Amino acid sequence: MGDQRRSSIRVEQVQKSYAGRMVVDVDELVLGDVPIEGLLGPNGAGKTTLMRMVMNSVSPDAGRITLNSSDGSTTTLSSLPTHKMAHHGVVKSTQVITDFDQLTILDSMLLAVATTGHEFPVRPGAERSLMSANEDEIRSYLERFGFADATAIAMSAGEKKLLDILRCLLLKPSILLLDEPTAGLPDEVTAKVLEVIRELAADGTSVVIVEHDLDVIWELCDEVTFMAEGRVLMKDDPASIRANATVIEKYLGAGHG
Amino acid sequence: MSLDWLDAFLVSGTFGVVEIVGLGLLLHLQVGLTRIANFGVVGFWGLGLYTFGVLYVQVDWPFGEPWQFLFSALAASLAAALAGLVVAWLIADLDSDGALVGTLGFSAIVLILATTQDQLTGGALGLGGLGFPYDLGTTKANELLWLALMTALVGLILGYVWWVHRTPYGRLLIAIGSNEPLARSMGKHTTGAKLTLFAITCGLMGLLGAMHGVMVRFLDIGSLDVGITLAALAGLILGGTARVWGAVIGVLLTVGLFDIVIQFYVPLPQEWFTQAIPVLREAVFGALLVVVLLFRPQGLLGQMRRSKLIRAMHDG
Ligand SMILES: Nc1ncnc2c1ncn2[C@@H]1O[C@H](COP(=O)(O)OP(=O)(O)O)[C@@H](O)[C@H]1O
Ligand SMILES: [Mg+2]
Repeated sequence: MGDQRRSSIRVEQVQKSYAGRMVVDVDELVLGDVPIEGLLGPNGAGKTTLMRMVMNSVSPDAGRITLNSSDGSTTTLSSLPTHKMAHHGVVKSTQVITDFDQLTILDSMLLAVATTGHEFPVRPGAERSLMSANEDEIRSYLERFGFADATAIAMSAGEKKLLDILRCLLLKPSILLLDEPTAGLPDEVTAKVLEVIRELAADGTSVVIVEHDLDVIWELCDEVTFMAEGRVLMKDDPASIRANATVIEKYLGAGHG
Repeated sequence: MSLDWLDAFLVSGTFGVVEIVGLGLLLHLQVGLTRIANFGVVGFWGLGLYTFGVLYVQVDWPFGEPWQFLFSALAASLAAALAGLVVAWLIADLDSDGALVGTLGFSAIVLILATTQDQLTGGALGLGGLGFPYDLGTTKANELLWLALMTALVGLILGYVWWVHRTPYGRLLIAIGSNEPLARSMGKHTTGAKLTLFAITCGLMGLLGAMHGVMVRFLDIGSLDVGITLAALAGLILGGTARVWGAVIGVLLTVGLFDIVIQFYVPLPQEWFTQAIPVLREAVFGALLVVVLLFRPQGLLGQMRRSKLIRAMHDG
């Protein structure tokens, strides 16, 4: 753990069932107390549902989810509307590809950086000041990720996925949840995304990442939480997780290793 | 100045077209950008019309024109804005079917209130006593100036709509229309934005209603039927809901065609105009809606051209 305080999320006695079947049942878990935390587990383990509950886009049946911000303050996330999450620095990319079908790539990025002040219904010059304040950052991301034409609407699945990550980055998260961020991306783009994640983490953002590419997990993460059937089975450093008998039996053994 | 050459009905016909263009433009912000189905245009417009008329006629104003007009019109706009706020709040989390029923229901309430509160509104008999806030000598001259003022107002609305497309505010509205959950997860207070949008646009619909009241100088509950909603919607959808000029082109091709071209330039027997044409007009607008939605749902002007606009704004 670094010397600076990080934002982290505490999950306590959180349960969620769908149609009578318990899909998340977490007794106690702290996410984001290390720079990069991996969330690992077989399909259906409840990783996405857990992240959605953190964002309050799915409400838990029971339990408490709190944010411990880097400034020392504590916020109960389960009573915070989704739109206030980003203001508290909690941001999530989605596993399912999602985009604004009418907005161009540049639009999406400008939307991410615009404040309520910019978005006032009558404010002359708002677009210009928004652009000039953020142009450098936006252009550097566009160049870095090789978007050919930012004035186009994202077309391919890979482009949309990458754009979703860029939107998250532009929101300047203090804790960033990434749900399979590199699924469907070409290898060279994946490498760039991982590079950005490392930089972000080094700058103090806590990153929580769900990822099926195990090489990425072992190499990238400082700690790994292993989930199966809705429960957290263990949380440890990557090497110990990799060597653990339960993990091998429930996950790695099943053709993933 | 002699205005004998000018047909008085041409002035009121044009006024009607301009007014519906204005409603269509406001509807474009609601339906085209933010994708909130508003089938209750007549409710907001009518609330403005009736609030204006009742205040103008029934209140003992301690001051003369133009204050009597200005205060009544301001109150009418505020009433419609408040109604827009409440309706938007009620339908904020509903899907488009829910929004349709909610807005339509609201317009029915306005009609019922106008009919039953007859001590104030004149009910089914109507209410006279409205007038222009100035006098140029003849009715025709007064109407012509009012048409000019209405055209200026709708021109301002057109300018605002054009500008909104080029602002972070317009981008937020489009984002809400495209993918509200995603906008929310990006920290956007989407419900607040929808409420504000409805307050502004419905308030302006109410102002158009007040302007209408001055032009017709008579409150008639017949004007609160589905006609003006249908005309604004049919025009907007024909022209293209997502485009700034959609409402303008569409309304000219529908209401303009029926209420001006056919009315004044096609020689038809006089009784057709009083009996067949108004019925035919509603039927054609309704059928047109169905045909356009089936075969060219994006309307004549087509999809939003966001890429082109963004390139023009930010490239180079
Ligand atoms: N909205 C939903 N309705 C019903 N079942 C759901 C829903 N969302 C997730 N589930 C079920 O919950 C379990 C956990 O899903 P999920 O959280 O997506 O797992 P993971 O992301 O770990 O693969 C799965 O069995 C899935 O089918
Ligand atoms: Mg998942």
